[in-house]
Amino acid sequence: MQAPRRLILRRRASNLVSKVLGTAATLFGLSWLAWILIVTLINGARALSFRIFTDITPPPGADGGLANALVGSALMSLLGVLIGAPIGIAAGTYLAEFAERRPVWRESIRFINDILLSAPSIVLGLFVYTIYVRQVGHFSGFAGGLALALIVLPVVVRTTDETLRLVPNMMREAALSLGIPRWKVTVQVLYRAALPGILTGVLLGLARITGETAPLLFTALNNQFWSRNLDGPTASVPVVIFQFAMSPYDAWHSLAWAGAFVVTMVVLVLSVGARAFLLKNRMDSNA
Amino acid sequence: MPSAAPIIDVAPAADAGSAPGTAPRPLSSKIVVKALDFYYREYHALKNVSLEIPERQITAIIGPSGCGKSTLLRVFNRIYSVYAGLEATGEVLLDGENILNSHYSLNRLRTRVGMVFQKAVPFPLTIFENVAFGLRHHFRLSRGQMEDRVEKALREAALWDEVKDKLQTSALGLSGGQQQRLCIARAVALRPQVLLLDEPTSALDPIATGRIEQLLSELQRDYTIVIVTHNMQQAARVSAYTAYMYLGEMVEFGSTAELFTRPQRRQTEDYITGRFG
Repeated sequence: MQAPRRLILRRRASNLVSKVLGTAATLFGLSWLAWILIVTLINGARALSFRIFTDITPPPGADGGLANALVGSALMSLLGVLIGAPIGIAAGTYLAEFAERRPVWRESIRFINDILLSAPSIVLGLFVYTIYVRQVGHFSGFAGGLALALIVLPVVVRTTDETLRLVPNMMREAALSLGIPRWKVTVQVLYRAALPGILTGVLLGLARITGETAPLLFTALNNQFWSRNLDGPTASVPVVIFQFAMSPYDAWHSLAWAGAFVVTMVVLVLSVGARAFLLKNRMDSNA
Repeated sequence: MPSAAPIIDVAPAADAGSAPGTAPRPLSSKIVVKALDFYYREYHALKNVSLEIPERQITAIIGPSGCGKSTLLRVFNRIYSVYAGLEATGEVLLDGENILNSHYSLNRLRTRVGMVFQKAVPFPLTIFENVAFGLRHHFRLSRGQMEDRVEKALREAALWDEVKDKLQTSALGLSGGQQQRLCIARAVALRPQVLLLDEPTSALDPIATGRIEQLLSELQRDYTIVIVTHNMQQAARVSAYTAYMYLGEMVEFGSTAELFTRPQRRQTEDYITGRFG
């Protein structure tokens, strides 16, 4: 049966209109991202040199690199993940596996975790400033790592919780029906099934904190030189970008571009890699 | 076998006057259920169910979807207790001891009563580790002893010949039927006395189903087997006893030959002849 010709034309027209509008909206959204990436890549690639990785941040008018900031960023991000990920995995496991009999309590924690997930990072920085920096009396890399841990934490809680809930209940029952206690079932069977998802959560958390500036401003501050240890002000790439980009010196501008380029690449590789890893594992397990 | 009756090792004597819910008792009972009620929160899922499951025989539980057959099975190893809000009252005696008693250790119960589920769920481990997993937790075994027990379990599940050269590969690479036999191997590795199977072949093709059914008839020499199935032909093929449940009640329980050829209850007859309504 053929629909009337007029109806067909009208359907085609509305199909075309929604297609065009949808595509235009997507392109509009993506164009900003493309713009940012292209400008960063062009300016960053121009400013990039080997010295970025060997020399420390220079005083105005001198040559230098970003080595101290890169190392500071790497150490503080690592510290953030080392503190945030284990606590996050434990809390996510509690929510998914052990809070069954307290649904109100469990949903409250999930809700609060979601609030923490969307909390402005500068608030987390101020929080750590108040409870740590003010108490010890000086800025430090440890405080920076702690602030970053607070950002990693809710990301890992959520992904761990969600991936564990994706493990079929039948697998829990099968393991429990062998007379194996719940904790052992969780650690030895469920974690293995959920491992790709949990790892992805940790990597996404790492990607997120690599580019964070605000929580470090009040905690790690900055350091123009090498930090002896993390118990003092520590340089980080995002804060250096912030400082150098606002300065009137061309050499600092160019270093800020180089830093932006490096951070962007690291974040891009981490998050694309994490998602690709998750996608590959999903497809493998579906096959 | 020339007769239309299913293949049964010991033809149980038919007790002509048996009331519904009471089994003929030619053999000793492994599990005795007395006045069992089960609740999913407010929902009354099992209503005053009583039956006696004979030792070293296959007992099938049949009935339409939602009749409580799986629920009943899941009481036998208390796997339901994983979830909040589920409650069983009454008595379920395993060798005379009430397993619903909170003092009865879950650990002890589940090493005695193994379970195989509707869908094969191999753990994301190697084939060897899947079978060794329960053993490692319950026994201290040397490497050699462990290998022996794993091999024995895989042979019992008629899977050894197919996997002996790839024990260290992932169990997820096995076919559906092989995975289900692996789950049976995993359960029998602990040397339970009772084996519960919840629609174990509903996701398998006829050939894999045939293999599992053949395996069950071999396993009944050593194990008391309870199988839930919505496939009446399967119940008739493999079991010596059959229980028919409807809406949470035990309608009729008796020898499979009796139940399928001379059902005592009209409801049972309607169901097995497909005139259900």
